[in-house]
Amino acid sequence: MDINTRREEAAAAFAAKGLPTVKEEAWRFTNVSRLNEETFDAVWQAAEVSFDPLSDLVVVFENGKWSVEASSLDGLPEGVRVRSIMDSADARLGTLADSDSGFVLSNTAQFSDGILIEVDAGVVLEEPIHVVHLADAEGGSFAYRHLIAAAAGANVTVIEEYIGSAGVRYLTNVVTEAFVADGAKVDHYKIQRESAAAYHFQTLESELGGDALFSNHAVTVGGRLGRNDIRGRLLGEESEAICNGLYLLGEDQLFDTHLFMDHAVPKCQSHELYKGILSDQARAVFCGRILVQQDAQETDAIQSNGNLLLSRAAKVNTMPQLEIYADDVKCTHGATIGELDEQALFYLQTRGMDPQQAHGMLTFAFANEVLDEVACSVVKLRIEAMVQAWLAGVNE
Amino acid sequence: MALLEIIELQAQVEEKQILNGINLSIQPGEVHAIMGPNGSGKSTLSNVLAGNESYEQTGGNVLFDGADLSELDAHERARAGLFLAFQYPVEIAGISNMYFLKAAVNAIREHRGEKQLDAMEFLDVIEDKKKLVKIREDLLERAVNSGFSGGEKKRNEIFQMAMLEPKMAILDETDSGLDIDALRIVADGVNALRSPERGFLVITHYQRLLEYIVPDFVHVLVNGRIVKSGGKELALELEEHGYEAFEGAAV
Ligand SMILES: Nc1ncnc2c1ncn2[C@@H]1O[C@H](COP(=O)(O)OP(=O)(O)OP(=O)(O)O)[C@@H](O)[C@H]1O
Ligand SMILES: [Mg+2]
Repeated sequence: MDINTRREEAAAAFAAKGLPTVKEEAWRFTNVSRLNEETFDAVWQAAEVSFDPLSDLVVVFENGKWSVEASSLDGLPEGVRVRSIMDSADARLGTLADSDSGFVLSNTAQFSDGILIEVDAGVVLEEPIHVVHLADAEGGSFAYRHLIAAAAGANVTVIEEYIGSAGVRYLTNVVTEAFVADGAKVDHYKIQRESAAAYHFQTLESELGGDALFSNHAVTVGGRLGRNDIRGRLLGEESEAICNGLYLLGEDQLFDTHLFMDHAVPKCQSHELYKGILSDQARAVFCGRILVQQDAQETDAIQSNGNLLLSRAAKVNTMPQLEIYADDVKCTHGATIGELDEQALFYLQTRGMDPQQAHGMLTFAFANEVLDEVACSVVKLRIEAMVQAWLAGVNE
Repeated sequence: MALLEIIELQAQVEEKQILNGINLSIQPGEVHAIMGPNGSGKSTLSNVLAGNESYEQTGGNVLFDGADLSELDAHERARAGLFLAFQYPVEIAGISNMYFLKAAVNAIREHRGEKQLDAMEFLDVIEDKKKLVKIREDLLERAVNSGFSGGEKKRNEIFQMAMLEPKMAILDETDSGLDIDALRIVADGVNALRSPERGFLVITHYQRLLEYIVPDFVHVLVNGRIVKSGGKELALELEEHGYEAFEGAAV
């Protein structure tokens, strides 16, 4: 099916189905009905939002469109192609993101731009590709469609960062598909710091061949209402998926993470470490589903979701779900919702730290466990700074 | 003036009276040992002295360096020079031992009106103190006490003490969990820190530790009271006869 037909079909399906409602199990705690009452339009204009590039390879999208002036792909080595998704009718598009979720349908029908990253077999790109999305158009609707394809043995790091101008209301709806072939490695990072009035939804789909590695770290501080749907399919033996995340939420923010890891073949690993810190009336939803199919013997799957509540009004719904049909597997999961440990606070104070310092240090320590796993040092520094800034804001 | 003066101290936890009037006076330079059966209130005393708010002081007085301890919060006591080596050190994931120590050292230096140590100066101090308790390098890089063995945790407590240079150190069963060699190393570390200005309160179940860290006084704590005090020979006596003779006396 060619891409235009696919887009028309998605448009028709979306028109019939609309956005998800709380009647759907997967959207039970995340009510997006307000989006139907508000209007959003595709407005393509340059954005006046500043950002710090994390790499020499930067692609910048401004209010829904690739900005050639702001982007820089000098020095892209042989065997790596980075283009706008609009320039190529890639046959793989939509083959992973095939769910009938309203957000995916609407994205397929309406995406206005996106990035296509292809890395040829055996090519290792050391420099990360920083994909920046800037938004400052009030009432804007931005639908991005990204596709990452790492051929056998290829190696690439992609950082998606979303930055909004403070107070501006808009809607970002992204679908990213990642194809990780045999022996390939894709490290994917997502830093979401949209405006506090923004809506942000992303579906990230990945497919792994044998002996492949896909890692994703999703850090969320922005957006009024947002959700990440992160789905991975382990289709080749001995491959490994890492999905870690950190959400720092305040005021009346609601952020939802839905993970789905599908172990279809033997001897794969998936590790998921998610942490959240919530203040004010913030709400978080976490649903981590791990499916171990009958053939997927010797699966090693670990999932944990820890939440730290800094206020009594903050709320978390966390739901680990294991579905195991194989008998020789190692799967663990756990979820916690709590406050800082009194004994630990006392311990720090007996070492001279005042209560505020002790709180700050333990809160940072809580988040830092996720950062420990971040391999890309520039990303790690950026996230650390974001966490420190967020914590400083909470203590004000 | 006594460094630590405990007068008729009473304390409770969870509405349960544990300390029933403790009197103890420690002069600068002295090492006092407290021995006593399980549950007699030794750790309760340490916690009350260190300012743990889960424990409530219900009577008596404690003066540290002349100041009323009940008016100081835990961090203020630490800054004033009181140190507690925990019986059960707390594990803190996500913060490296180094980072933690640097924050602690600088918090205390700031209080003393000394300038903050920068990264290089801090490393110099670390190198210096590391030798004292022969702590392994990798334990400094790891998260505070996280996954440390029992003995490693205890050694880390003494390392922290060496870094913070307190006036008065309370060691709550620092010897339990240490192997024979580690016990000697930790004891040597403590002895190296003995000085005419510094006081120690060493809580232990075993006379062996007191062979290495020789106390000036030994006290027997039973049912939240000191029922007998004496010199270092008292520890030997206890080792031989146990606490039975005192159990009735204290009630
Ligand atoms: N947080 C608490 N809640 C309830 N009871 C407590 C608490 N802390 C201490 N206790 C009780 O107080 C009593 C004294 O305990 P403490 O820990 O001081 O004993 P200890 O002398 O240090 O014993 P050990 O030699 O076993 O370390 C015990 O009966 C203990 O159960
Ligand atoms: Mg004890």
